[in-house]
Amino acid sequence: MTGFVLRRLFQTLVVIGLLSFFCYYLMTLMPGDPIDEMIAANPNVTSEDAERLRQLHGLDQPAYKRYWNWATMIASGDLGYSRTYRVPVSEILGKSLLNTFVLAGAALVFSLLVAVPLGVWAALHKGERVDYVVNLFAFAGISVPSFWIAIVLILVFAVYVPIFPAGGTSSISFDMTPWESFVDRARHLVLPVLSLSFLSIGTYVRYTRAAMIEAMSNDYIRTARAKGLSRDRILIMHGFRNALIPLITIVALSFSTLFSGAIITETVFAYDGVGRLVFLSIQRNDFNVAMVAFMISVSMVLVMNLVADLLYGVADPRITYS
Amino acid sequence: MSQEESRQRRNGSRRTGGRAAAAKRPIGSIALASVAVSVFLLGLYGLARPGLVGTREAPTNRSLKIGITQEFENLNPVIMSMSATNYMYRMVNRTLVTLDENTEWKAQLAVEVPSLENGLARFVEFDGVRKLEADWHILPAATWGDGTPVTCHDLQLSWEVAQSPYVSIPNVENYRQVEQIRIDPQDPKHCTFLYREPKWNFDRPFQFYFLPSHLERAVFEAYGDEPEGYEQHSLYTRDPTNPGLYHGPYRIKEIQLGSHVVFERNPTFYGEPAHIDEIVIVLIPNTGTLEANLRSGSIDMVSSLGMSFDQALAFAKRVEADALPFHVNFQPGFVYEHVDLDLDNPVLKDANVRRALVYAIDRQGLVDALFEGKQPPALHFVSPLDPWFTDDPADIAYYEHSRRKANRLLDEAGWQMAADGFRYGADGQRLRLKLMTTAGNKTREVVQVYLQDQWRGIGVDVRIQNEPARIFFGQTTRKRQFEGAAMYAWSTSPENSPRSTLHSGWIPTEENGWSGQNQPGWANENVDRLVDALEVEFDPQRRLELIHGIIGLYTREVPVVPLYYRSDVSVTPANLTGYRLIAHQVQATNHVERWNLESEAVDTSRRASR
Repeated sequence: MTGFVLRRLFQTLVVIGLLSFFCYYLMTLMPGDPIDEMIAANPNVTSEDAERLRQLHGLDQPAYKRYWNWATMIASGDLGYSRTYRVPVSEILGKSLLNTFVLAGAALVFSLLVAVPLGVWAALHKGERVDYVVNLFAFAGISVPSFWIAIVLILVFAVYVPIFPAGGTSSISFDMTPWESFVDRARHLVLPVLSLSFLSIGTYVRYTRAAMIEAMSNDYIRTARAKGLSRDRILIMHGFRNALIPLITIVALSFSTLFSGAIITETVFAYDGVGRLVFLSIQRNDFNVAMVAFMISVSMVLVMNLVADLLYGVADPRITYS
Repeated sequence: MSQEESRQRRNGSRRTGGRAAAAKRPIGSIALASVAVSVFLLGLYGLARPGLVGTREAPTNRSLKIGITQEFENLNPVIMSMSATNYMYRMVNRTLVTLDENTEWKAQLAVEVPSLENGLARFVEFDGVRKLEADWHILPAATWGDGTPVTCHDLQLSWEVAQSPYVSIPNVENYRQVEQIRIDPQDPKHCTFLYREPKWNFDRPFQFYFLPSHLERAVFEAYGDEPEGYEQHSLYTRDPTNPGLYHGPYRIKEIQLGSHVVFERNPTFYGEPAHIDEIVIVLIPNTGTLEANLRSGSIDMVSSLGMSFDQALAFAKRVEADALPFHVNFQPGFVYEHVDLDLDNPVLKDANVRRALVYAIDRQGLVDALFEGKQPPALHFVSPLDPWFTDDPADIAYYEHSRRKANRLLDEAGWQMAADGFRYGADGQRLRLKLMTTAGNKTREVVQVYLQDQWRGIGVDVRIQNEPARIFFGQTTRKRQFEGAAMYAWSTSPENSPRSTLHSGWIPTEENGWSGQNQPGWANENVDRLVDALEVEFDPQRRLELIHGIIGLYTREVPVVPLYYRSDVSVTPANLTGYRLIAHQVQATNHVERWNLESEAVDTSRRASR
């Protein structure tokens, strides 16, 4: 087990290194550089100024040298400086990452709390009316675009029945108690979480239902019934546990999105998250912000894949790591 | 019992058993589901219960929340480059002179604008070179938020920072024009600027900013010789709520990049105290939700960096129909929408073809149909609000909409109309034009289709090919790769030299690092001569003649197809007075201290109780 984990961690580090170079190189291939942006925005930039600025930002060097400078900077613990916001990357990214984590985490927990029981319920009533209703909602969740559901939620719950804020991360007030701040923050999360959950609930319901139907049709379920085990024990210990394997994969991958952000939801709800930040950074050639965010996202995918592999063993004792 | 019967009985018993179990299950399931739903609804109710919910009430002078859709950076004036930052900057800091809401230049932090007439400016000669120097006096009452007087040392610091090779500032020209700053040792509020070249617009340094030398000098001396060292350690980055960084009617109470900025009234402001206690600027990046935010009370106002023009038109109708408590403001300005023609294109080299393209467009019809007449049609690059504007037929060539004239010009240019409705040259080549603009810009895309239709009417085969803004501006127009026609906008200010857009020295080339905005590649010796003369002409009347000469050549040769002047839009609360939407570079926040949300009596009593 330890050997497996160490081996996988080493592989993960190698992949992160390779992907970082690949992402950096791809960004350098995009048309224009930060100085081009400045020239486009300001007609009075002279060729001498453009040359000076390129040298200052190291843009006159080949891509591999720039990558090396960036990688050594990151290795030394310095995340660099955002040329869009004119502040250190850690300052702007840290806060946005936390906000995104809260939003995506809340949406994930809420989605699972709703979707897993629904999926199990639908599987146990396969072909019945309840199954059709759950499926209808699941497909609606998968099919409806997130920007549409977000705007509908804003119109219904912020404009026509104004019970939740239309957007933002929190109210801007300097005289709230910690409890009021907490409630205020929670209120601002309700609509984005609902919007974000709508799609994932549909997906998780479909996966849970399919996995549960397959698990419940196995011989060991019949054997368990024949042994006279209770319905709940059959359902949880034999059915649901075996249905967990595909669910672990999809949930582990969903975990990796906790730090990569949801651009559309964050933009529509003016939520100060990392998705919007990364999008803007790429648009504005702000390499330092975009690369750090990429790296976090890539690392999360790889690490959560590793976690999923380890969890398979927990869910199914037949899986070993020797 | 046969196997089949046995199976049927087993299945039957299972189904029967299933039904029996199901008969029990619903009670548990429904109970569980009811508890879960109740907990969820109670949670939602708890969060949404009355008392915590905001309602749409008219804003008062206690607070005003303004929505913007564009991102902002920190407010270091020498470094800032975003429009949204510029919008906020005028709330916290001011400049020596400003362009007011009537498009007139006025002294702001300067006691008086120096001129040759008032004796505060004069020509001087250094080593046989004629130069200009001007005396600037800063308002005696002007202080930074911590009480330190605003002095010429603050101007000197920004001048040094801007010219440092280690600071990333794109537009150094404002500062580079000044060769030397001499500060009066007896009076640090008086200094003399020596200008490298005697240019008539020396008295308009509205982008020559102040940096608080009592705070920022130490930072610059410590980190100024490291690449981007000053920017990273500036107090505008490290301690942005330090009151000593601001001298305007407001100072910053809180700044969260990517989210909002809170401004509070600056008690040390030298001028008239602001009426509104606190202004919050909230970033709402999605223009589609601006209206919902307004109607729900999340924001009270939308700045000029908010709604798109078509959104504002639609919202204005809803304001009227639903009697909503807002004003939707439209103000034509200095943004010139046009179509650049690639003069290296063999088809477009012929001035008659270019003139025919202008004749073919019904510009009045365009602005009436698409913009309800709220964006005026353009005659040339100078806005009607600009003192340099002319529509005198003696100065400019007029192109009233005439398909007949357009057809005649194309006939003369050798493009003959064929039975298929398109024109062909002598070599059988169809008259074809590629028309590009920014993909996803709804307004431009609609205008593009309008142009395609109008040009199709005179036999021109227009092919639309759009690109994302990043590629269109970063590559295609900047490197003159559009081949045919490129539609976009130029943003100018009043009495602005057209050097970067019309002078042949500013045609982007590989040799000059693709600098300049003369994207059509228009090279006209007379225009170059007139632009050179314009910049050093001190006689206003003579300047007018020179610019009208340039406009005349521009309209006759048609390197660019004029379309319309863009209007800025904003939405303000119905009870806001003292506000005027300004559509030039010095934004409406330049007179933010005059904005008032209460009647005079209420405001006065509030001020008295403050």
